[in-house]
Amino acid sequence: MTMTGSAIERRKFPAPFENYELGDPFDEMFHASGAPRQHYQEIYDFLLDLPADELKLHKQAADQTFLHQGITFTVYGRDEGTERIIPHDLLPRIITAQEWGKVESGLEQRIHALNLFLKDIYHEGKILSDGVVPRDIIYSCKHFRREMRGVHVPKGNYLTVVGTDLIRRPDGEFVVLEDNLRVPSGVSYMLTSRQVLKRIFPKLYQACGVRPIDHYGQALLATLRNLSPEGRPEPTVVLLSPGVYNSAYFEHSFLARQMGIQLVEGRDLVVHDNIVYMRTTSGLRRVDVIYRRIDDDFIDPLSFRRDSILGVPGLFNAYRTGNVTLANAIGTGVADDKALYAYVPKIIKYYLGQDAILENVETFLASEPTEQKHILANLDKFVVKAVGESGGYGMLIGPHSTKEQQEEFGKKIIEDPRNYIAQPTISLSTAPCFVEGGNIEPRHIDLRPYILYQGEKSVIVPGGLTRVALRKGSLVVNSSQGGGSKDTWVLN
Amino acid sequence: MFYSIRHVTRFQYSTPVSESVMEVRMRPRSELLQQCLKFELHVTPRARVQFYRDYLGNTVHYFDVPGHHNRLALIAEAVVEVEEPEDIPEAVPMAAWETIDEMWASGELYEFQMPSHFAQPSAELDKLVKELGVDRRENPLTLLRRLNQKMYSAFEYAPKSTRVDSPIDEALINRKGVCQDFSHIMIAIVRGLKIPCRYVSGYVFPRPEEEKRATPLATHSWIEAWIPGIGPNQQGLWVGFDPTSNCVCGDRHIRAAIGRDYADVPPTKGVFKGRATSELTVAVRVLPTNAPADDREELVLVPSSNSGSSPVADHHWEEMQQQQQQQ
Repeated sequence: MTMTGSAIERRKFPAPFENYELGDPFDEMFHASGAPRQHYQEIYDFLLDLPADELKLHKQAADQTFLHQGITFTVYGRDEGTERIIPHDLLPRIITAQEWGKVESGLEQRIHALNLFLKDIYHEGKILSDGVVPRDIIYSCKHFRREMRGVHVPKGNYLTVVGTDLIRRPDGEFVVLEDNLRVPSGVSYMLTSRQVLKRIFPKLYQACGVRPIDHYGQALLATLRNLSPEGRPEPTVVLLSPGVYNSAYFEHSFLARQMGIQLVEGRDLVVHDNIVYMRTTSGLRRVDVIYRRIDDDFIDPLSFRRDSILGVPGLFNAYRTGNVTLANAIGTGVADDKALYAYVPKIIKYYLGQDAILENVETFLASEPTEQKHILANLDKFVVKAVGESGGYGMLIGPHSTKEQQEEFGKKIIEDPRNYIAQPTISLSTAPCFVEGGNIEPRHIDLRPYILYQGEKSVIVPGGLTRVALRKGSLVVNSSQGGGSKDTWVLN
Repeated sequence: MFYSIRHVTRFQYSTPVSESVMEVRMRPRSELLQQCLKFELHVTPRARVQFYRDYLGNTVHYFDVPGHHNRLALIAEAVVEVEEPEDIPEAVPMAAWETIDEMWASGELYEFQMPSHFAQPSAELDKLVKELGVDRRENPLTLLRRLNQKMYSAFEYAPKSTRVDSPIDEALINRKGVCQDFSHIMIAIVRGLKIPCRYVSGYVFPRPEEEKRATPLATHSWIEAWIPGIGPNQQGLWVGFDPTSNCVCGDRHIRAAIGRDYADVPPTKGVFKGRATSELTVAVRVLPTNAPADDREELVLVPSSNSGSSPVADHHWEEMQQQQQQQ
């Protein structure tokens, strides 16, 4: 996919937009005609009026703030230091109140249905006996936890914190790319980007009328407290992190601080007589709710991976008894499996009797023989994804791949069809970004709103994390693959 | 028949350990023809024993010992009544294969149809399947009866020839092993025929002629395969086959737990804190009775192949923290 070559004539924009090109993808700032969209007018005018070097200074100031606040993440498998500041872009991405209204109700609907689905498959399995979702998709999923069958979870809420990735199609519609139902990360970048941008563009922020997001930490804490075991009205909530070597450790410590709760590792917790305690300087203290950022596999060496030393032995039995709550519940990954994704519209229809408000991206399953043929014949056009991976690992982007890469993926698909899906390459929408050299150019973006699920209703702070593929023409927005973040402004 | 079972387990640690947490799957199941009339589990050092039932109906006891200890001892005592089942027919109609294929397609018994940790297909397994001539020419029940017999003849019973965590290839290559190996091999073969098949851990009170292999002085394992068209209302029945003693299971087999294979249902499973090696000794006694076992009688403990060291090592740590997916 290229930025040029469409029917639209390239038109000249004034500085600092002189290199801005419009193509097939939906552009967040400009109509196809080249006129700025109404909700971007304020910032467009602001940028035109700004002295040439001013943006660079702003960018430097923002970088400094990120660095001083230690807003970093970790990249694995590279030699040059693993700790970096999160790449970010200076210019906010703007969403209108009307657009947001639809996204919000669409997410609320989707996550509620997925929660009902999780409850069903770990209990009666009605959707399976009714043949709406094939059993083998569930039981062959590596995130399905048979240990959770028949286990009651508080309030029936399997999901608590969810991050769903949305992209905007060329026609301007938001569609769902994938759900993250296990340990979604990135919310700290959403919050810190906002803090920084408010400081860099205070007047613009005021003038635009942006909905606040600062209450996320308190909303998360309230959601967690609400899951307290019965008879524990004043629950102790902790955040369980794998430790400092984890890519998201900054976020773990950031969120614990925002909520005013303890940040713990597995070795800080101990289970005795089915109750979970935290080791403190003044002795053991009972723990009621754990916001865990450790994978299912590692959470309890007694019940899951025996060699895990990050987990807490006996935790799962305490959880099963209802003496402690884990958020998210164990086994939620079966519902964000990329093969199951194709069934989500049917799942919404099945439990809620409604059509999905937010559509899916068209998806082909390699496990279906006819669809597999179609995938293999079109490897140069499709995006192929390994179902169990996240963070942009194990992915083939057809149009940007070599023949060798396609052949390699073709082999992998034939060897292990259940593990692969394919989607047409979608031109993610573009938004103006400040690039090196001082110009503003379009780059591809997506959107990850964070949903705090509380049953039929959810708390969704307006906006979310806009991830941007900082490399020109790139479609990969994952921070582990060179993506950056952008502040997201939902207008009043 | 009434049986009294006494099952003693002792862990001896090379240096004191702490924070032991353990799960125990020893309580005989209560269902259909088998009723557990009494079950007691004594733990030393003293611990508060709790239990849950998993979704397959197994009772799992668990406890923790927080303080330092050099040894951990469990004494499980049970009284069980097992009724003689109705005779299993020699054969079922060939059409049973169709029902088995339907069951396969529905995925209803998925976890008992797919390979599991110990019951994996392998080249060695294929060799054995060919050698034993196992295929769908016969009806499933006759086929399994024969397979059970052939398994018995093909393997030598050799205690301590394999470890508790040995893959089946070891027993397949050497053509010898213990009940657990035979069960895993047979499960892998039966599932390969698309017949749902599960692992049973329990106890046996063998007929005198079977005593060479199966013994009332150890835990035992065998398999159950789902055969359509028999049982109440011809709804299908899980039929027990014991490839170690060459028999179809009746009132001499006492079922404690069912699972995909041994990995799901070890009698004890625990972790502890400390750098110690542990030595495990086990003693079992199964007696026909009308009354609970005599507590005063001392059992002779025998070393188990399950002994091992704690898996903790610091260098895994960093790697594991990184392995945590943050989505």
